[in-house]
Amino acid sequence: MVKWKRDLGLEGRMLLTMFLLAAVYLFFLAFLTYMSAPPVFMILFIGLALGAQYYYSDRIVLWTMNAHVVSEDEEPNLHQTITRLCAIADLPKPRIAIVNTAVPNAFATGKGPNSAVVAVTTGLVDRLNQGELEAVLAHELSHVKNRDMAILTIASFISTLAFYFVRYNLLFGSFGGGNRRDSGGILLVWAVSLAVWLISFLLIRALSRYREFAADRGSAIITGQPSNLTSALLKISDIMPRIPNDDLRKVEGMNAFFIIPAAVSGSFLNLFSTHPSVEKRIAALEKIQRELEL
Amino acid sequence: MGLKSMFDSLLGRGSLPEAKTDRLFAISTAVVTMEVDLRLKPSSSAGICFKPMEMAKYEEARDEIEGLLKYSTQETGTLFRLEKDEYNFLWVILEDPDFEDLVTNIHMVSQTLIEQNFGEQLLCAVYRFEGKGPVYWIYNFKQDGYYPFASLNGHKRDNAVEMRLKSLMERELPIEKNIEKWYPLWGMPF
Repeated sequence: MVKWKRDLGLEGRMLLTMFLLAAVYLFFLAFLTYMSAPPVFMILFIGLALGAQYYYSDRIVLWTMNAHVVSEDEEPNLHQTITRLCAIADLPKPRIAIVNTAVPNAFATGKGPNSAVVAVTTGLVDRLNQGELEAVLAHELSHVKNRDMAILTIASFISTLAFYFVRYNLLFGSFGGGNRRDSGGILLVWAVSLAVWLISFLLIRALSRYREFAADRGSAIITGQPSNLTSALLKISDIMPRIPNDDLRKVEGMNAFFIIPAAVSGSFLNLFSTHPSVEKRIAALEKIQRELEL
Repeated sequence: MGLKSMFDSLLGRGSLPEAKTDRLFAISTAVVTMEVDLRLKPSSSAGICFKPMEMAKYEEARDEIEGLLKYSTQETGTLFRLEKDEYNFLWVILEDPDFEDLVTNIHMVSQTLIEQNFGEQLLCAVYRFEGKGPVYWIYNFKQDGYYPFASLNGHKRDNAVEMRLKSLMERELPIEKNIEKWYPLWGMPF
Protein backbone atom coordinates (compact mmCIF):
# COMPACT_ATOMS: atom_id res chain seq x y z
CA MET A 1 0.00 0.00 0.00
CA VAL A 2 1.49 3.29 -0.98
CA LYS A 3 1.53 5.84 1.78
CA TRP A 4 0.70 9.15 0.19
CA LYS A 5 2.01 12.31 1.70
CA ARG A 6 -0.63 14.90 2.32
CA ASP A 7 -0.06 18.21 0.66
CA LEU A 8 -0.18 20.34 3.77
CA GLY A 9 0.54 23.51 1.87
CA LEU A 10 -2.49 22.98 -0.33
CA GLU A 11 -4.72 21.98 2.55
CA GLY A 12 -3.54 25.01 4.50
CA ARG A 13 -4.39 27.35 1.66
CA MET A 14 -7.83 25.78 1.27
CA LEU A 15 -8.58 26.15 4.95
CA LEU A 16 -7.40 29.72 4.94
CA THR A 17 -9.59 30.56 1.95
CA MET A 18 -12.66 28.97 3.50
CA PHE A 19 -11.93 30.73 6.76
CA LEU A 20 -11.63 34.09 5.01
CA LEU A 21 -14.88 33.43 3.18
CA ALA A 22 -16.65 32.62 6.42
CA ALA A 23 -15.21 35.76 7.99
CA VAL A 24 -16.35 37.91 5.11
CA TYR A 25 -19.84 36.44 5.30
CA LEU A 26 -20.16 36.83 9.03
CA PHE A 27 -19.08 40.43 8.72
CA PHE A 28 -21.68 40.95 6.03
CA LEU A 29 -24.48 39.45 8.08
CA ALA A 30 -23.43 41.42 11.14
CA PHE A 31 -23.33 44.56 9.08
CA LEU A 32 -26.80 43.95 7.66
CA THR A 33 -28.16 43.35 11.12
CA TYR A 34 -26.54 46.54 12.35
CA MET A 35 -28.17 48.44 9.52
CA SER A 36 -31.47 46.85 10.54
CA ALA A 37 -31.65 45.46 7.09
CA PRO A 38 -31.85 41.72 7.54
CA PRO A 39 -33.85 40.96 4.46
CA VAL A 40 -35.50 37.82 5.66
CA PHE A 41 -37.44 37.27 2.53
CA MET A 42 -34.41 37.84 0.33
CA ILE A 43 -32.37 35.31 2.29
CA LEU A 44 -35.18 32.79 2.25
CA PHE A 45 -35.77 33.24 -1.43
CA ILE A 46 -32.14 32.90 -2.40
CA GLY A 47 -31.71 30.01 0.01
CA LEU A 48 -34.60 28.21 -1.65
CA ALA A 49 -33.33 28.98 -5.13
CA LEU A 50 -29.85 27.72 -4.41
CA GLY A 51 -31.26 24.77 -2.55
CA ALA A 52 -33.32 23.80 -5.54
CA GLN A 53 -30.37 24.39 -7.84
CA TYR A 54 -28.28 22.10 -5.67
CA TYR A 55 -30.96 19.48 -5.34
CA TYR A 56 -31.56 19.26 -9.03
CA SER A 57 -27.95 20.03 -9.94
CA ASP A 58 -27.35 16.86 -11.85
CA ARG A 59 -30.39 17.29 -14.06
CA ILE A 60 -29.70 20.98 -14.61
CA VAL A 61 -26.06 20.48 -15.53
CA LEU A 62 -26.77 17.57 -17.82
CA TRP A 63 -29.41 19.56 -19.61
CA THR A 64 -27.22 22.66 -19.95
CA MET A 65 -24.27 20.69 -21.24
CA ASN A 66 -26.47 18.61 -23.53
CA ALA A 67 -25.23 15.38 -21.98
CA HIS A 68 -27.18 12.17 -21.99
CA VAL A 69 -26.75 9.25 -19.66
CA VAL A 70 -25.44 6.07 -21.25
CA SER A 71 -25.85 2.46 -20.25
CA GLU A 72 -23.21 -0.23 -19.99
CA ASP A 73 -24.30 -1.69 -23.29
CA GLU A 74 -23.82 1.60 -25.02
CA GLU A 75 -20.39 2.34 -23.57
CA PRO A 76 -18.92 -0.84 -22.10
CA ASN A 77 -15.35 0.38 -21.85
CA LEU A 78 -16.31 3.60 -20.12
CA HIS A 79 -18.50 1.75 -17.64
CA GLN A 80 -15.92 -0.89 -16.85
CA THR A 81 -13.18 1.68 -16.46
CA ILE A 82 -15.24 3.72 -14.02
CA THR A 83 -16.30 0.62 -12.10
CA ARG A 84 -12.66 -0.28 -11.63
CA LEU A 85 -11.72 3.23 -10.55
CA CYS A 86 -14.61 3.39 -8.09
CA ALA A 87 -13.51 0.15 -6.52
CA ILE A 88 -10.07 1.64 -5.91
CA ALA A 89 -11.48 4.97 -4.73
CA ASP A 90 -14.11 3.31 -2.57
CA LEU A 91 -16.98 5.16 -4.20
CA PRO A 92 -20.38 4.02 -5.35
CA LYS A 93 -20.59 3.90 -9.11
CA PRO A 94 -22.00 7.13 -10.53
CA ARG A 95 -24.17 7.49 -13.59
CA ILE A 96 -22.19 8.04 -16.76
CA ALA A 97 -23.06 10.60 -19.40
CA ILE A 98 -21.71 11.54 -22.80
CA VAL A 99 -21.68 14.87 -24.60
CA ASN A 100 -21.43 14.68 -28.33
CA THR A 101 -18.85 17.31 -29.20
CA ALA A 102 -15.32 17.43 -30.56
CA VAL A 103 -14.20 19.70 -27.73
CA PRO A 104 -12.41 17.52 -25.18
CA ASN A 105 -13.94 17.96 -21.76
CA ALA A 106 -15.08 16.10 -18.67
CA PHE A 107 -17.09 17.09 -15.62
CA ALA A 108 -18.78 15.68 -12.59
CA THR A 109 -21.95 16.85 -10.93
CA GLY A 110 -24.50 15.77 -8.39
CA LYS A 111 -25.31 16.28 -4.73
CA GLY A 112 -22.84 13.76 -3.48
CA PRO A 113 -21.26 10.39 -4.07
CA ASN A 114 -24.62 8.62 -3.98
CA SER A 115 -26.22 10.62 -6.73
CA ALA A 116 -23.32 11.67 -8.87
CA VAL A 117 -22.90 11.86 -12.61
CA VAL A 118 -19.58 11.80 -14.43
CA ALA A 119 -19.64 13.03 -18.00
CA VAL A 120 -17.12 13.02 -20.83
CA THR A 121 -17.25 14.39 -24.34
CA THR A 122 -16.73 12.25 -27.41
CA GLY A 123 -13.85 14.60 -28.25
CA LEU A 124 -12.11 13.59 -25.04
CA VAL A 125 -12.54 9.86 -25.57
CA ASP A 126 -11.25 10.15 -29.12
CA ARG A 127 -8.16 12.09 -28.20
CA LEU A 128 -6.88 10.29 -25.14
CA ASN A 129 -5.47 6.81 -24.72
CA GLN A 130 -6.77 4.46 -22.04
CA GLY A 131 -4.32 5.56 -19.36
CA GLU A 132 -4.99 9.24 -19.91
CA LEU A 133 -8.76 8.67 -19.92
CA GLU A 134 -8.52 6.88 -16.60
CA ALA A 135 -6.55 9.77 -15.17
CA VAL A 136 -9.20 12.27 -16.21
CA LEU A 137 -12.04 10.08 -14.91
CA ALA A 138 -10.20 9.63 -11.64
CA HIS A 139 -9.89 13.42 -11.41
CA GLU A 140 -13.65 13.78 -11.79
CA LEU A 141 -14.31 11.02 -9.28
CA SER A 142 -12.12 12.91 -6.83
CA HIS A 143 -14.41 15.91 -7.23
CA VAL A 144 -17.32 13.66 -6.34
CA LYS A 145 -15.54 12.17 -3.40
CA ASN A 146 -14.54 15.59 -2.10
CA ARG A 147 -18.10 16.84 -2.49
CA ASP A 148 -16.87 19.86 -4.37
CA MET A 149 -20.26 20.65 -5.83
CA ALA A 150 -21.82 21.01 -2.40
CA ILE A 151 -18.94 23.00 -1.02
CA LEU A 152 -18.85 25.48 -3.83
CA THR A 153 -22.62 25.90 -3.77
CA ILE A 154 -22.57 26.68 -0.06
CA ALA A 155 -19.60 28.96 -0.56
CA SER A 156 -21.45 30.89 -3.19
CA PHE A 157 -24.62 31.30 -1.16
CA ILE A 158 -23.83 34.52 0.57
CA SER A 159 -21.87 35.73 -2.40
CA THR A 160 -25.09 35.41 -4.39
CA LEU A 161 -26.97 37.17 -1.62
CA ALA A 162 -24.54 40.06 -1.74
CA PHE A 163 -24.83 40.18 -5.49
CA TYR A 164 -28.58 40.50 -5.34
CA PHE A 165 -28.21 43.22 -2.79
CA VAL A 166 -26.08 45.13 -5.22
CA ARG A 167 -28.55 44.70 -8.01
CA TYR A 168 -31.86 45.09 -6.28
CA ASN A 169 -30.95 47.13 -3.25
CA LEU A 170 -32.36 50.36 -4.57
CA LEU A 171 -35.56 48.68 -5.69
CA PHE A 172 -36.26 46.69 -2.58
CA GLY A 173 -34.96 49.21 -0.08
CA SER A 174 -37.17 47.61 2.53
CA PHE A 175 -34.89 48.45 5.32
CA GLY A 176 -37.17 48.98 8.19
CA GLY A 177 -35.69 50.43 11.28
CA GLY A 178 -35.99 54.08 12.09
CA ASN A 179 -33.32 56.44 11.06
CA ARG A 180 -31.35 53.91 9.09
CA ARG A 181 -33.97 54.28 6.45
CA ASP A 182 -32.37 56.99 4.42
CA SER A 183 -30.45 57.24 1.17
CA GLY A 184 -27.15 57.25 3.01
CA GLY A 185 -27.96 53.94 4.61
CA ILE A 186 -29.09 52.38 1.38
CA LEU A 187 -25.99 53.56 -0.40
CA LEU A 188 -23.79 52.17 2.33
CA VAL A 189 -25.48 48.80 2.16
CA TRP A 190 -25.01 48.82 -1.57
CA ALA A 191 -21.34 49.67 -1.35
CA VAL A 192 -20.65 47.05 1.28
CA SER A 193 -22.60 44.46 -0.70
CA LEU A 194 -20.44 45.24 -3.68
CA ALA A 195 -17.27 44.85 -1.69
CA VAL A 196 -18.50 41.61 -0.13
CA TRP A 197 -19.43 40.28 -3.53
CA LEU A 198 -16.09 41.14 -5.09
CA ILE A 199 -14.01 39.73 -2.28
CA SER A 200 -16.03 36.55 -1.99
CA PHE A 201 -15.92 36.20 -5.77
CA LEU A 202 -12.15 36.17 -5.75
CA LEU A 203 -12.03 33.89 -2.72
CA ILE A 204 -14.40 31.42 -4.34
CA ARG A 205 -12.28 31.42 -7.46
CA ALA A 206 -9.23 30.69 -5.34
CA LEU A 207 -11.08 27.93 -3.50
CA SER A 208 -12.14 26.47 -6.80
CA ARG A 209 -8.55 26.41 -8.02
CA TYR A 210 -7.33 24.72 -4.87
CA ARG A 211 -9.98 22.06 -5.22
CA GLU A 212 -8.75 21.46 -8.75
CA PHE A 213 -5.28 20.78 -7.38
CA ALA A 214 -6.86 18.48 -4.83
CA ALA A 215 -8.72 16.61 -7.55
CA ASP A 216 -5.48 16.26 -9.53
CA ARG A 217 -3.88 14.82 -6.43
CA GLY A 218 -6.82 12.51 -5.95
CA SER A 219 -6.45 11.32 -9.50
CA ALA A 220 -2.78 10.56 -8.92
CA ILE A 221 -3.65 8.60 -5.79
CA ILE A 222 -6.38 6.58 -7.47
CA THR A 223 -4.46 5.71 -10.61
CA GLY A 224 -0.95 5.71 -9.17
CA GLN A 225 0.15 7.26 -12.47
CA PRO A 226 0.37 11.04 -12.25
CA SER A 227 2.16 11.18 -15.59
CA ASN A 228 -1.02 9.99 -17.31
CA LEU A 229 -2.87 13.04 -16.09
CA THR A 230 0.00 15.27 -17.17
CA SER A 231 -0.13 13.75 -20.61
CA ALA A 232 -3.90 14.18 -20.77
CA LEU A 233 -3.70 17.81 -19.65
CA LEU A 234 -1.11 18.58 -22.29
CA LYS A 235 -3.19 16.99 -24.99
CA ILE A 236 -6.39 18.81 -24.19
CA SER A 237 -4.92 22.14 -23.23
CA ASP A 238 -3.89 24.45 -25.98
CA ILE A 239 -0.24 24.14 -25.11
CA MET A 240 0.92 21.29 -27.24
CA PRO A 241 -0.63 22.49 -30.48
CA ARG A 242 1.42 25.66 -30.12
CA ILE A 243 4.70 23.81 -30.52
CA PRO A 244 5.63 24.60 -34.13
CA ASN A 245 6.57 22.18 -36.87
CA ASP A 246 8.18 24.64 -39.26
CA ASP A 247 11.88 24.26 -39.75
CA LEU A 248 13.97 26.90 -37.99
CA ARG A 249 15.99 27.46 -41.13
CA LYS A 250 12.85 28.37 -43.00
CA VAL A 251 11.59 30.91 -40.53
CA GLU A 252 14.83 32.52 -39.47
CA GLY A 253 14.57 34.87 -42.40
CA MET A 254 11.78 36.66 -40.62
CA ASN A 255 13.95 39.03 -38.63
CA ALA A 256 10.99 40.60 -36.98
CA PHE A 257 10.15 37.24 -35.51
CA PHE A 258 13.18 37.14 -33.28
CA ILE A 259 12.56 40.54 -31.78
CA ILE A 260 8.98 39.95 -30.76
CA PRO A 261 8.94 39.78 -26.99
CA ALA A 262 7.52 36.65 -25.46
CA ALA A 263 3.83 36.74 -24.61
CA VAL A 264 3.12 38.03 -21.15
CA SER A 265 1.73 35.32 -18.92
CA GLY A 266 -1.48 36.80 -17.59
CA SER A 267 -0.69 36.42 -13.93
CA PHE A 268 -3.21 39.08 -13.00
CA LEU A 269 -5.88 37.32 -14.99
CA ASN A 270 -5.21 34.13 -13.05
CA LEU A 271 -7.02 35.66 -10.09
CA PHE A 272 -10.25 35.29 -12.00
CA SER A 273 -9.94 31.76 -13.28
CA THR A 274 -11.58 28.76 -11.72
CA HIS A 275 -8.81 26.44 -12.82
CA PRO A 276 -5.11 26.80 -12.12
CA SER A 277 -2.94 27.13 -15.20
CA VAL A 278 -1.95 23.91 -16.91
CA GLU A 279 1.72 24.59 -16.19
CA LYS A 280 1.04 24.84 -12.47
CA ARG A 281 -1.02 21.68 -12.48
CA ILE A 282 1.67 19.80 -14.33
CA ALA A 283 4.33 21.09 -11.95
CA ALA A 284 2.27 19.83 -9.01
CA LEU A 285 1.83 16.46 -10.71
CA GLU A 286 5.55 16.22 -11.42
CA LYS A 287 6.14 16.77 -7.73
CA ILE A 288 3.82 13.89 -6.88
CA GLN A 289 5.59 11.78 -9.46
CA ARG A 290 8.92 12.46 -7.77
CA GLU A 291 7.45 11.59 -4.37
CA LEU A 292 6.29 8.35 -5.87
CA GLU A 293 9.68 7.51 -7.31
CA LEU A 294 11.66 8.10 -4.14
CA MET B 1 13.87 44.18 -25.70
CA GLY B 2 16.30 46.81 -24.48
CA LEU B 3 16.48 50.55 -24.98
CA LYS B 4 18.89 50.19 -27.83
CA SER B 5 16.70 47.79 -29.78
CA MET B 6 13.71 50.03 -29.22
CA PHE B 7 15.57 52.94 -30.75
CA ASP B 8 16.72 50.73 -33.55
CA SER B 9 13.14 49.90 -34.40
CA LEU B 10 12.01 53.51 -34.06
CA LEU B 11 14.71 54.79 -36.37
CA GLY B 12 14.25 51.92 -38.75
CA ARG B 13 17.74 50.55 -38.19
CA GLY B 14 17.36 47.02 -39.40
CA SER B 15 19.84 44.84 -37.66
CA LEU B 16 19.84 41.23 -36.62
CA PRO B 17 20.37 40.65 -32.92
CA GLU B 18 23.89 39.72 -31.85
CA ALA B 19 24.50 36.11 -30.97
CA LYS B 20 25.07 35.27 -27.33
CA THR B 21 27.31 32.45 -26.26
CA ASP B 22 27.22 32.85 -22.51
CA ARG B 23 24.68 30.13 -22.01
CA LEU B 24 26.47 27.58 -24.15
CA PHE B 25 28.21 26.08 -21.15
CA ALA B 26 25.03 25.52 -19.15
CA ILE B 27 24.48 22.20 -20.81
CA SER B 28 27.76 20.73 -19.63
CA THR B 29 26.46 20.56 -16.06
CA ALA B 30 22.88 19.79 -17.01
CA VAL B 31 24.02 16.65 -18.81
CA VAL B 32 24.59 14.91 -15.47
CA THR B 33 20.94 15.29 -14.48
CA MET B 34 19.87 14.16 -17.90
CA GLU B 35 21.91 11.01 -17.74
CA VAL B 36 20.93 10.11 -14.21
CA ASP B 37 17.29 11.20 -14.00
CA LEU B 38 16.12 10.98 -17.57
CA ARG B 39 18.40 8.25 -18.95
CA LEU B 40 19.31 10.55 -21.81
CA LYS B 41 22.83 9.89 -23.00
CA PRO B 42 24.84 12.41 -25.00
CA SER B 43 25.48 10.90 -28.39
CA SER B 44 28.94 12.45 -28.69
CA SER B 45 27.76 14.56 -31.64
CA ALA B 46 26.94 18.21 -31.72
CA GLY B 47 26.66 20.81 -34.43
CA ILE B 48 26.54 24.50 -35.14
CA CYS B 49 24.32 25.74 -37.87
CA PHE B 50 24.92 28.98 -39.64
CA LYS B 51 23.71 30.75 -42.66
CA PRO B 52 26.53 31.47 -45.06
CA MET B 53 26.71 34.80 -46.79
CA GLU B 54 28.05 35.53 -50.27
CA MET B 55 30.50 33.09 -51.71
CA ALA B 56 33.72 34.97 -51.01
CA LYS B 57 33.01 35.49 -47.34
CA TYR B 58 31.78 31.96 -47.08
CA GLU B 59 34.94 30.43 -48.47
CA GLU B 60 37.03 32.63 -46.22
CA ALA B 61 35.05 31.69 -43.16
CA ARG B 62 35.10 28.04 -44.04
CA ASP B 63 38.86 28.01 -44.43
CA GLU B 64 39.32 29.92 -41.25
CA ILE B 65 37.08 27.61 -39.29
CA GLU B 66 38.70 24.53 -40.69
CA GLY B 67 42.10 25.86 -39.75
CA LEU B 68 40.98 26.68 -36.28
CA LEU B 69 39.28 23.35 -35.80
CA LYS B 70 42.33 21.42 -36.96
CA TYR B 71 44.39 23.21 -34.39
CA SER B 72 42.12 23.08 -31.37
CA THR B 73 40.76 19.60 -31.87
CA GLN B 74 44.24 18.16 -31.94
CA GLU B 75 44.42 18.48 -28.18
CA THR B 76 41.07 16.99 -27.37
CA GLY B 77 40.94 14.60 -30.25
CA THR B 78 37.60 15.89 -31.40
CA LEU B 79 36.58 14.93 -34.90
CA PHE B 80 35.04 17.58 -37.07
CA ARG B 81 33.53 18.00 -40.47
CA LEU B 82 31.77 20.72 -42.40
CA GLU B 83 28.62 20.07 -44.30
CA LYS B 84 26.01 21.97 -46.22
CA ASP B 85 22.39 21.01 -45.82
CA GLU B 86 19.42 21.18 -48.15
CA TYR B 87 18.64 24.73 -47.05
CA ASN B 88 22.20 25.75 -47.93
CA PHE B 89 23.03 26.31 -44.33
CA LEU B 90 26.49 25.34 -43.21
CA TRP B 91 27.01 22.90 -40.39
CA VAL B 92 30.08 22.45 -38.29
CA ILE B 93 29.69 18.97 -36.86
CA LEU B 94 31.83 17.85 -33.96
CA GLU B 95 32.25 14.42 -32.48
CA ASP B 96 33.82 13.66 -29.14
CA PRO B 97 32.94 11.06 -26.55
CA ASP B 98 33.97 13.53 -23.85
CA PHE B 99 30.98 15.81 -23.47
CA GLU B 100 32.89 18.62 -21.83
CA ASP B 101 35.37 18.76 -24.71
CA LEU B 102 32.47 18.81 -27.10
CA VAL B 103 30.86 21.76 -25.34
CA THR B 104 34.17 23.59 -25.16
CA ASN B 105 34.72 23.19 -28.86
CA ILE B 106 31.23 24.28 -29.72
CA HIS B 107 31.71 27.38 -27.65
CA MET B 108 35.07 28.07 -29.23
CA VAL B 109 33.77 27.73 -32.77
CA SER B 110 30.86 30.02 -31.99
CA GLN B 111 33.15 32.61 -30.47
CA THR B 112 35.40 32.50 -33.49
CA LEU B 113 32.52 32.99 -35.85
CA ILE B 114 31.41 35.97 -33.83
CA GLU B 115 34.89 37.43 -33.80
CA GLN B 116 35.05 37.03 -37.54
CA ASN B 117 31.84 39.06 -37.77
CA PHE B 118 29.67 36.09 -38.55
CA GLY B 119 27.70 36.47 -35.34
CA GLU B 120 24.64 37.50 -37.25
CA GLN B 121 24.77 34.34 -39.33
CA LEU B 122 24.86 32.04 -36.35
CA LEU B 123 21.56 30.23 -36.10
CA CYS B 124 21.85 27.58 -33.45
CA ALA B 125 23.97 24.99 -31.72
CA VAL B 126 22.51 21.52 -31.43
CA TYR B 127 23.45 18.71 -29.07
CA ARG B 128 22.18 15.27 -29.90
CA PHE B 129 21.15 12.89 -27.15
CA GLU B 130 19.85 9.36 -27.29
CA GLY B 131 16.81 8.39 -25.29
CA LYS B 132 14.16 6.10 -26.69
CA GLY B 133 14.78 8.02 -29.89
CA PRO B 134 16.95 10.97 -30.82
CA VAL B 135 16.48 14.00 -28.60
CA TYR B 136 18.11 17.24 -29.66
CA TRP B 137 18.74 20.16 -27.39
CA ILE B 138 18.73 23.20 -29.60
CA TYR B 139 20.37 26.38 -28.43
CA ASN B 140 19.14 29.41 -30.30
CA PHE B 141 21.86 32.05 -30.31
CA LYS B 142 19.48 34.88 -30.96
CA GLN B 143 17.20 34.01 -28.10
CA ASP B 144 19.75 32.73 -25.62
CA GLY B 145 17.73 29.74 -24.55
CA TYR B 146 17.57 26.00 -25.09
CA TYR B 147 14.63 23.92 -26.16
CA PRO B 148 14.19 20.19 -26.72
CA PHE B 149 13.30 18.54 -29.98
CA ALA B 150 12.37 14.86 -29.81
CA SER B 151 12.02 13.70 -33.36
CA LEU B 152 9.86 10.80 -34.42
CA ASN B 153 9.63 9.03 -37.73
CA GLY B 154 7.73 10.77 -40.41
CA HIS B 155 8.39 14.43 -39.75
CA LYS B 156 6.78 14.33 -36.32
CA ARG B 157 7.86 15.36 -32.89
CA ASP B 158 7.04 13.86 -29.52
CA ASN B 159 5.47 16.84 -27.77
CA ALA B 160 4.75 14.95 -24.57
CA VAL B 161 8.42 14.02 -24.15
CA GLU B 162 9.48 17.59 -24.94
CA MET B 163 7.12 19.09 -22.36
CA ARG B 164 8.32 16.59 -19.81
CA LEU B 165 11.93 17.53 -20.55
CA LYS B 166 11.07 21.19 -20.21
CA SER B 167 9.57 20.85 -16.75
CA LEU B 168 12.30 18.56 -15.50
CA MET B 169 15.21 20.62 -16.81
CA GLU B 170 13.81 24.07 -16.17
CA ARG B 171 15.97 24.66 -13.17
CA GLU B 172 19.16 23.37 -14.76
CA LEU B 173 19.08 24.92 -18.20
CA PRO B 174 17.91 28.31 -19.40
CA ILE B 175 15.00 27.09 -21.47
CA GLU B 176 13.18 29.15 -24.06
CA LYS B 177 9.95 30.10 -22.30
CA ASN B 178 7.94 30.80 -25.38
CA ILE B 179 7.12 27.41 -26.85
CA GLU B 180 5.95 29.00 -30.06
CA LYS B 181 9.63 29.52 -30.78
CA TRP B 182 10.57 25.88 -30.42
CA TYR B 183 11.24 25.48 -34.13
CA PRO B 184 12.63 22.06 -35.01
CA LEU B 185 15.28 21.30 -37.58
CA TRP B 186 14.37 18.41 -39.77
CA GLY B 187 16.98 16.12 -41.23
CA MET B 188 20.03 17.40 -39.41
CA PRO B 189 23.25 15.93 -40.77
CA PHE B 190 24.14 14.12 -37.55
